[in-house]
Amino acid sequence: MTKQEMFDRLSAILQETFDIDADRIKPESRLYEDLDIDSIDAVDLIVKLKPIAGKRLQPDAFKSVRTLQDVVDALYGLMNDPAV
Amino acid sequence: MLRLAYFPLLQLLVRQREAQTRKARLAVHYTFKLFIELMRVLGILRYEIRGIEKLQRPGLLILANHPTLIDVVFLISLVPDADCVVKASLARNPFTRGPVRATNYICNDSGAGLIEDCIASIQTGHNLIIFPEGTRTPVNGPMKLQRGAANIATRGPCNITPVTIRCEPLSLTKGLPWWKVPPRRMQFTIEVKDDIAVQPFLDQSQNEPALAARQLTDYLHNYFSTENQAHAGA
Repeated sequence: MTKQEMFDRLSAILQETFDIDADRIKPESRLYEDLDIDSIDAVDLIVKLKPIAGKRLQPDAFKSVRTLQDVVDALYGLMNDPAV
Repeated sequence: MLRLAYFPLLQLLVRQREAQTRKARLAVHYTFKLFIELMRVLGILRYEIRGIEKLQRPGLLILANHPTLIDVVFLISLVPDADCVVKASLARNPFTRGPVRATNYICNDSGAGLIEDCIASIQTGHNLIIFPEGTRTPVNGPMKLQRGAANIATRGPCNITPVTIRCEPLSLTKGLPWWKVPPRRMQFTIEVKDDIAVQPFLDQSQNEPALAARQLTDYLHNYFSTENQAHAGA
């Protein structure tokens, strides 16, 4: 899966689960400050991302995530890392 | 007194954790009741409580607005088996550690597990008191609600028992030192309202709790803001 496809999936989740307008969803959007995703939402988001990655996701992998681009990068890194 | 004598005694004499918790919470309940009565007898405040019978049920999620420093004292004085969320630093502070541990109040350091801890407490039959604003209402500027309380309701799922608190003249607010006393005696009006059902919010959002929690938070914001407005006008 390419990073663009991942971003599109992420965008769909944000709209369906958290009712976020499509025009606010940009790679540089910050989860907490711009999109009002709190810690409870973050747990939900990781659960929803699991089927995309196809493996268990440790919340720790998303600790340093700030923007949507960071989410995609973290996810991409996990999927293409055979050690995880 | 409680800290030095009662709680250590309780720990020695009552072995069972659940019984210990219940007795400790009851002690806090009566102490706060005493405090409120003392304040009334001393002429510092007067109060009127409406709908208190609605609190005589187990397993409630009690949500209230938060105008003053002593809102929680009032609410715990009305609810014998009250549970609440306390700042984790209070469980480490040597002055507050004893009561916080003995009452087994929920600490807010468990991260995402906090919501589950809160739901578990309600399902055990405790009455959980939460101020959805997370801090006292700012005197100037709009009220802002956190979504945690609504998430407890939508994920429980459990209905909400709303309580509105009004203090006239407004005192003991955020940013005001507690020793700045108001010109007149404080008059507290505390009203326990009818439950707010959570199911309609879950239906509206196709059982997506995060989405339902957002809609419920908006609803509560409107609910408590209008209450405040109505009071301001009265």
